[in-house]
Amino acid sequence: MTETIELALKTLEDQLNQPLEAAFEACARCGICAEACHYYRAEPKVEHVPAYRAEQLRSVYRYEHDFLSRLFPLWTRSKKLDERTLVNLTEMAFSQCTLCRRCTVNCPLGVDTPLMMRAIRAMASAAGTAPEILVILADSAIEKGKDPSFYKEMFLEQIKEMEEQLRDITGDPSATIPVEKQGAKILYVPLAGAHTILPPAVVFNAAKEDWTLSIFEAANYGVFLADMKRAKEVAKRIVDEANRLGVQEIVIAECGHAYASYRWDVPNWFAGEFNFKVRSLVEVIAEYIADGKIKVDPTVIPEAVTYHDSCNLARSGGLIEEPRFVLKNVVSDFREMTPNKAEALCCGGGGGLVALAEYAERRIAAGKPKADQIKNTGARVVVAACENCRLQIGDLNEHYNLNVRITALTDLVVRAMRLPKPLPGTEAEHLFEGEMAAVAKD
Amino acid sequence: MLIAQLLALAGLIIGLSGIIRRYTETKRRAVPADSSPVKGDIPNGIRYAFTTGMMPWAKESTRLHMIAYLRGIGFHIGIFAAIGAVIISPFWGYLPSLLSWSLFWVLTLGAILGAAGGIMRIAEHNLRGLSLPDDHFAVWLTTLFITVAGLAVLNEAFMIPMYIVSAITFAYIPLGKIRHCLYFFFSRIFFGKFFGRRAVFSHGVSHREAVK
Repeated sequence: MTETIELALKTLEDQLNQPLEAAFEACARCGICAEACHYYRAEPKVEHVPAYRAEQLRSVYRYEHDFLSRLFPLWTRSKKLDERTLVNLTEMAFSQCTLCRRCTVNCPLGVDTPLMMRAIRAMASAAGTAPEILVILADSAIEKGKDPSFYKEMFLEQIKEMEEQLRDITGDPSATIPVEKQGAKILYVPLAGAHTILPPAVVFNAAKEDWTLSIFEAANYGVFLADMKRAKEVAKRIVDEANRLGVQEIVIAECGHAYASYRWDVPNWFAGEFNFKVRSLVEVIAEYIADGKIKVDPTVIPEAVTYHDSCNLARSGGLIEEPRFVLKNVVSDFREMTPNKAEALCCGGGGGLVALAEYAERRIAAGKPKADQIKNTGARVVVAACENCRLQIGDLNEHYNLNVRITALTDLVVRAMRLPKPLPGTEAEHLFEGEMAAVAKD
Repeated sequence: MLIAQLLALAGLIIGLSGIIRRYTETKRRAVPADSSPVKGDIPNGIRYAFTTGMMPWAKESTRLHMIAYLRGIGFHIGIFAAIGAVIISPFWGYLPSLLSWSLFWVLTLGAILGAAGGIMRIAEHNLRGLSLPDDHFAVWLTTLFITVAGLAVLNEAFMIPMYIVSAITFAYIPLGKIRHCLYFFFSRIFFGKFFGRRAVFSHGVSHREAVK
């Protein structure tokens, strides 16, 4: 047995807890999960049935853990893990599953297939077969955390410029973008790019919130790798920052995986050191609107608007009603996709796939059901509260000629706030026009 | 007859011991601690997983495959009825005729639905691709089990075959695919905990409640 295989099998053993064993053992191979998967919907073949994908790892698990399978491997098609199988498993887990959990919701036995796909990703990360770009992105975030001074000065310069822009847009000379403000109530963690800083800054200032901007980004590529060590190191930067500043709450930008991990996983990774409330920016905005802290006018946005439920926000995050509450207050023609909420279709961009250029064709093909769904709403604007979803829908827009504009929820909120000056011809205008998905992609 | 009954009893003991062993082994594995603040209601999530969430209309998949799903439900009802029937078989003589006939029809329906499942596994493209030899064996074994139990309810001549098939079926439960009957409970509990904690199925929560 090679070292790679040994590492992969050891990782599988380390992961093997009750939920994972239940996922391995409960499947009846009824195949009822087929249409739950957007890959299968786009290209109906048995290899795209979630149960089939899960079987690829199950066969390895059975060989290691089931005595009948060891005695008669053909009886349960069990197999010993080898290099070739590991490569195939890796490719499948990173390119044919977005970890959207739609199959789990649709399984009569509740089999958690994404948990098995995560186990494969963890095995691949440990064995060194995971996609390199994800490893590089995770490692660069970790490095950034080790020595933030390296880029901090430049970051602060950018924030200063953005602050000028903010004052111009809002007409409020006292509007600020505080960074590293000791004792602030909220630590807002953005993504890379002004488009996740400026619109939220408008909202926070209008609501007179006591907030501060994180110097780090919310994205965590360690999560996509299912590499606990890396994921934890990336998250630690923000946990340490929150502890250092003494904030009460961490608010995550419109980002699916970042929200799901900081809200539901990170508190477990840092038990004892994690004494903050975690909310998505979407929840905070919903609260501001409900409490009358910001005023919005839905007549500003007369276009038909639809909302895409990010799988990480909705199915894995429980953020279902909040974005709808916001949208119903900021647009006059809101249209639901069908199906939606917990049953929403994945756009195909999750699980880190947007970052994996080698699987772009597959990703766009698997997004066809979402493209059809968008088309059927007749909406001209698609709102997604997740950066990866926006990037993917942007690609679908182009590929399937959807002729829609894709925007973040906060951008629409800012538009509905009737600011005195939307500043034509600036980047901010693009923000308000929902063009940022394309800008960020470039 | 006594030997056949003892065989069935031995099969039942083997099967039960195997399942208990699997249960204790699985319970020995860790359950990840979750200290993230609960948004929804975990007990409600578990309740949903075993009740409303199992309804044929609760999921897109079962709405799309309503007939296949109901076939599966009917088949499983048949299996559990057959297990019950075998266990109480020494007392069949005391059953009122209406109950005997009801049992017979439940078992007959279960057997037909089981056979349909077995045929579907061969005939349907996806199912054929997904099925292992173990799956084919399990569905036909349990179908045979229900069939002989049904026949035995009608005709005493099938009592010995029923006990023999029961012995094989019971003993096979922990060995092959049929053991999913145990893991179903684990799986649905974890399902309920996960989605209950995160309030994913909290339909009917008002916007105001959701916001707060």
